[in-house]
Amino acid sequence: MIISKRKSHEDLMKSFKKYKSFFLIGCSECASLCGTGDVAAMKTMQEELEQEGKTVTGMMVPKTGCQTLGTKIELKKDKEACESAEAIVVMSCGAGTQSGVEIFPDKPVYPSNDTLFLGNMTRFQMFDERCSLCGECIIDQTGGICPITNCPKGLLNGPCGGMKDGNCEVSSEIKCAWVRIYERQKKVNELDKMNEILPPKDWSKKQNPHAMARQDKDKDKKEKKA
Amino acid sequence: MSFKEAIESGKFVITAEVGPPKGTDITTMIHDMHILKGKIDAVNVTDNQSAVMRICSLAVCKIAMEQGLEPILQMTCRDRNRIGLQSDLLGASVLGIHNVLCMTGDHVTAGDQKGSKSVYDIESVQLLQVVDSLNKGKDMHGNELKGATSFYQGAVVTPEANPLEPQLMKFEKKVRVGANFFQTQAIYDIEKFKSFMAFARKSNTKIMAGLVVLKSVGMANFLNNNVPGIKVPPELIAELKAAGKEKALDTGLNITARHIKQLKDEKICDGVHIMAIGMEDKVPEILQRAGLL
Ligand code: SF4
Ligand code: SF4
Repeated sequence: MIISKRKSHEDLMKSFKKYKSFFLIGCSECASLCGTGDVAAMKTMQEELEQEGKTVTGMMVPKTGCQTLGTKIELKKDKEACESAEAIVVMSCGAGTQSGVEIFPDKPVYPSNDTLFLGNMTRFQMFDERCSLCGECIIDQTGGICPITNCPKGLLNGPCGGMKDGNCEVSSEIKCAWVRIYERQKKVNELDKMNEILPPKDWSKKQNPHAMARQDKDKDKKEKKA
Repeated sequence: MSFKEAIESGKFVITAEVGPPKGTDITTMIHDMHILKGKIDAVNVTDNQSAVMRICSLAVCKIAMEQGLEPILQMTCRDRNRIGLQSDLLGASVLGIHNVLCMTGDHVTAGDQKGSKSVYDIESVQLLQVVDSLNKGKDMHGNELKGATSFYQGAVVTPEANPLEPQLMKFEKKVRVGANFFQTQAIYDIEKFKSFMAFARKSNTKIMAGLVVLKSVGMANFLNNNVPGIKVPPELIAELKAAGKEKALDTGLNITARHIKQLKDEKICDGVHIMAIGMEDKVPEILQRAGLL
């Protein structure tokens, strides 16, 4: 899921400075699990805004904020509340915020959160980054542990000289990704893979902005027409 | 004799290090270069070491040549993508710099530009492959070059990494992609180093032992606690302690000299790389004490 973290009160008030009334949009998926876009988070936001003498004209938690069309339909029932607000605050990830921008072409739309990474929830509201969406997965070669993400240098051919007692140069709190890969490959009997030289990544696969239609989508459409 | 010719001929080679300064005042650096001239086989020029921004390695390599030293261009993958690295390699080549040491590079979090974006588009093993390819007249994507390079490429290895096996596997990869020589992370325990050498000797490559001069007991403890892959054994710390504060540095110089002599006399490795860290001017004295000058 997409991990987000709320911006500080000060930063938000600075960015909202020009406006007095707001409509809040959350998200029932990732941002709810992160506690940044659920009803409780929105209530807190409302209180903070009211304390600063601002008003909240309404709020809504769409099923999936980044599903632009669905969110637009869900927002129909809040048409008046949205119209009466000077600005929209989206309390989800950067993608959800930009759904808002598309839905409200004539209104300022502001994010309340910083969007951090694609994360695994390891325990309730504890998140770890395991994949950084590189566009061409190579973890079949690395024991299912992603060095691009788990090694701060994204090294592909073994540990750097900074590894200290199995921990990473960048932080002793994290284990060196390549030591983890080594231990795992040993356990699953694939240590020979660590002798293979991985070539440089093709970063063109990560070139943004991405856009994709499901591969069979056009075909389906054509079939329906026919 | 060039560094390459010397090491390939079986001569016990000596390299030292020059760290480019932060700023445009290069008087101390030039002074150190004069002291080193004629006494070593080549000098490493570090590449924004510890991720602290300084004069680039390439420019200082050129200056080293003008001062009569043969440079080894250290090249890290932290700050340049594949275009930048290859382009700098071609640049080095036309300036007459023909030794390159390929390394990953300390992460930016270690340095003084913490908000910067780390690159690591390619890494040390792949950089060695790139150098090999430029030597063969092609860039890393297979495009023809108008004129090939002729680099003598080296790499680094940490003989006392813990755990060691993944590091050794990486060492073997580096040999496979053409690392002609290695300079090791600092070593202090010659017996342990011998067992690394027993492993390394199975590969066709040259090994230079890295030596860092101990200045004090405090420094030895600092290395043990903070620097990855360095272990100063208790006997050496005791030796420094016994010498007392005033004689600690002198003892440190003796230790380095003694290690050089043993490594050479017992033919344990192919040379030494002395990292004097701010005491480059002491290198001739170390060599004298080792009986090499
Ligand atoms: S290699 Fe890593 S970053 Fe790329 S897709 Fe696989 S897990 Fe994600
Ligand atoms: S210590 Fe390991 S995880 Fe950390 S940067 Fe080096 S190779 Fe990557």
